[in-house]
Amino acid sequence: MDLREILQTGVGGLSIGAVYALVALGFSIVYRTIGLVNFGHGDVLMVGAFLMVTFFVNSHLAFPLALVIAVALTATMGFGFERVLRPLERKDLDLMLIGTIGFGIALEGAAVLIWGSEGQAMPTPINDTPINLAGVTVRSYDVLVLVLAAAVVVGLYLFLERAKAGTAMQAAAMDHEAATAMGIDVARCNGRAFAIGAGIAAVAGALVGPRLYVSAGMGAAVGVKGFAAAILGGFGNIPGAIVGGLALGLIEAYASGSRGSYSDVITFVVFTAVIMLRPSGLLGERTVSRP
Amino acid sequence: MTLLRRLAGAGAVVVLLAVPYGVTYYGIHIANLVLIFIMLAVGLSLVLGYAGQVNLAQAAFFGMGAYASAVLTVKVGLGYWAAFPLSVIAAGLLGVLVGLPSLRVQSHYLGIVTLGLAVAFSAILVNASFTGQAVGLPGLPVPPLGPVDLSDEYNYYYLLLAAAGLLFALARLMVTTELGRRFQAMRDDALAAAHMGVEVPAYRMVAFVIAACYAGVAGALYAGLIRYVSPDTFSLAIMFLLLAMVIVGGRDNIYGAALGATVLLIVREQFVDLQKYQQVAYGLLIVGMVVAAPEGLAGLVGRVWIRVKRAIPGARVTPAEAERALGEAEVSGLGVDDGIAARAPLALVQDERQPDGVPALEVDGVSKRFKGLTALDDVTLSVAAGAIHGIVGPNGSGKTTLFNIATGVYGPTSGEVRAYGDRVSGRAAYRICDRGVARTFQALRLFRSLTVRENVMVALDRARPTSLWRYVLAPWTFRRRERALKARADELLERFRLSRVADFRATNLPYGQQRLVEIARAMATGPRVLLLDEPAAGLSSAEMNDLRELVTRIRDSGITVVLIEHNMGLVMTLCDRVTVFASGRVLAEGTPEHVTRDPEVIETYLGDADLLATGDGRP
Repeated sequence: MDLREILQTGVGGLSIGAVYALVALGFSIVYRTIGLVNFGHGDVLMVGAFLMVTFFVNSHLAFPLALVIAVALTATMGFGFERVLRPLERKDLDLMLIGTIGFGIALEGAAVLIWGSEGQAMPTPINDTPINLAGVTVRSYDVLVLVLAAAVVVGLYLFLERAKAGTAMQAAAMDHEAATAMGIDVARCNGRAFAIGAGIAAVAGALVGPRLYVSAGMGAAVGVKGFAAAILGGFGNIPGAIVGGLALGLIEAYASGSRGSYSDVITFVVFTAVIMLRPSGLLGERTVSRP
Repeated sequence: MTLLRRLAGAGAVVVLLAVPYGVTYYGIHIANLVLIFIMLAVGLSLVLGYAGQVNLAQAAFFGMGAYASAVLTVKVGLGYWAAFPLSVIAAGLLGVLVGLPSLRVQSHYLGIVTLGLAVAFSAILVNASFTGQAVGLPGLPVPPLGPVDLSDEYNYYYLLLAAAGLLFALARLMVTTELGRRFQAMRDDALAAAHMGVEVPAYRMVAFVIAACYAGVAGALYAGLIRYVSPDTFSLAIMFLLLAMVIVGGRDNIYGAALGATVLLIVREQFVDLQKYQQVAYGLLIVGMVVAAPEGLAGLVGRVWIRVKRAIPGARVTPAEAERALGEAEVSGLGVDDGIAARAPLALVQDERQPDGVPALEVDGVSKRFKGLTALDDVTLSVAAGAIHGIVGPNGSGKTTLFNIATGVYGPTSGEVRAYGDRVSGRAAYRICDRGVARTFQALRLFRSLTVRENVMVALDRARPTSLWRYVLAPWTFRRRERALKARADELLERFRLSRVADFRATNLPYGQQRLVEIARAMATGPRVLLLDEPAAGLSSAEMNDLRELVTRIRDSGITVVLIEHNMGLVMTLCDRVTVFASGRVLAEGTPEHVTRDPEVIETYLGDADLLATGDGRP
């Protein structure tokens, strides 16, 4: 591999890494608010991708419009999940986790019912022409993915830091009892966290759709990578999710560049090694337990 | 009641043996799959439910067992039964590999690491040529078994029933004896378990290897049953199904795991009639189950069982049984106000090891820095054998940090702590426990899912992980060992006047009694030096008097006591010597009278809160 190839592979890695970062953000926002790992998250992404197939590919809506519809629908769905599982909040997160698996199974089944078991290919919304940047060939869709993902991250950041509902969510995440005492509706915050996580998943699904084949089983593959990215960056940590996602994308890109079909093996072995060396993740805080 | 239980057990065995006579060919196929999933779920329940290790690679272990059997028979040409033990060992080795990260990471971090390794394993299956890639390996041999034709699924049922029965019986033995107790102690509180002598890293690995071996057996038997292996049989979907079985069944309950496997698999097959709606219905059923029956199937069955028992005239439901099944703790007023019997010595074994003149505990120039913060700064102090030594000081002055270093929570930045001349600092907590240093915790750290007796038994049990071979080769020895251990635990509880609450979950007791259980548990490790971290915090004045008597009696039975305490009244009347800490340094040391007259001590510690007058340092 010469330098040019290294750079080209790197841009591809960053592009898929941006998608992983979005998935990781979805995991993290639910985790830091509720303390729950949402195992149905990958399947929400899959539904988001299929909605794009329906509205963008089949109904020929404009890409932005289709995206807004897909995000709105999945966010409503996420809100619904939280509503059903609400009785278990603060009581039994393990069971709640199984509940999210149940939703994931149901979503996969529903996707097969609605969109069929064959799956569908999805075209890129813009011409995927190679752009030449100082001798390095970059695919234009990769650039679009990076830009859109960055826009989502900035939007989420502004919401959490500036909007009242966002700061309320932060407060609920830090201490739900104190937040309740301050008049914050914690249950509603939890619902919002689920909805936002699901909405981001739909964006991720829309962006990754043209790169992968859209099928009912795609959620598991992307979901596991996104979860790993969240852990790699430091679970529940928003900047960590971004760093973890990009890092995982790069590892994967270089692994498949050199070893092709064994890229998953290399990716997860490297991931395991990093986590064993730095259990709290790249940006996670090391905490000292006080017995 | 044991009669009822036995009848139910005998009935179950008869039903299980009769299954092949009452089902269709399709039915027996489902029954066989149920038995395989019971083995998988029970193994997962051991590692996940009991040992608390989030293992999401159980399906990969299953795959390893099946693929090893397939490769060894088809590619290498071994006979099925020759390949069988090798397949189980292969799965066990994968268990070691996947379990290694558990030494560094826990909870959902461990979950994703094990899941990631499982995905990597699947990727190898799909890509390697010797595993037949995505197609898998067909044409596996039928296991030969004398005149019995095992290609007949009706016959195969009995082979699976025998295997599942054996593995279940072994699991039952493990969870009702020392291994299960240690698993649960380590899951409830790994740190406290290590302080009670549990070699946490070893037991985590053991948990993974046991689960992997269970899955290995299931996998090899699956290969013999289906005679075809392909990668998607061992996918994430199967892993999640297993997880649902264990959690829906009832996490730390092997009966629950077996029940969960049976119910979920049969329900899934029932939904086959719904055809394309099957998966949706199945997913929603799991959601409904966790919302509607959060205690799990085993909890549900236990609840019904207790209600039935209560309804039968003459049947007795003990409060401890009711507590277990229904969560009704009826412990109020049980022995709380009893003083502690001032007769028998409190140590179970009088210790003869103490060399003359050597201090029981020596702290030699110990410093501890956390990033920028210096918690301890060149602390030196010495505790004479047989003394009651008090450590006082404002919050944040480094008292608990010293205890943490002396018991192996973390090592010192520099310096050394010795117990009877033997270095303890920098060693693992369970090794320090073996060297005779025991402790209690400022905030109670009892094993919450264990009874009072079991809490004490964890600490009493001196068995090493190397003795675990007994479970396979000498399972009958456990009955006697358990009985002896229980007798010693009861003896100790008697001395602490805790006999009446022995069968209750420790964390359901009144606060004062929980403190007492913690001291009893620390004493059960057979210490030479006992470190008590604020033992009087939260106690009533009556309980405080009991505590004073208790600590004196502990010392009288030959054990050196070091206690951190804010209550100056207690320190003044109890301690022979007192060390005063301030900002990580020793400010003064001497008799209680001496230090409380020290002007520097009065200025920095006592003066500001007027602690001597109120006799209570807690705000």
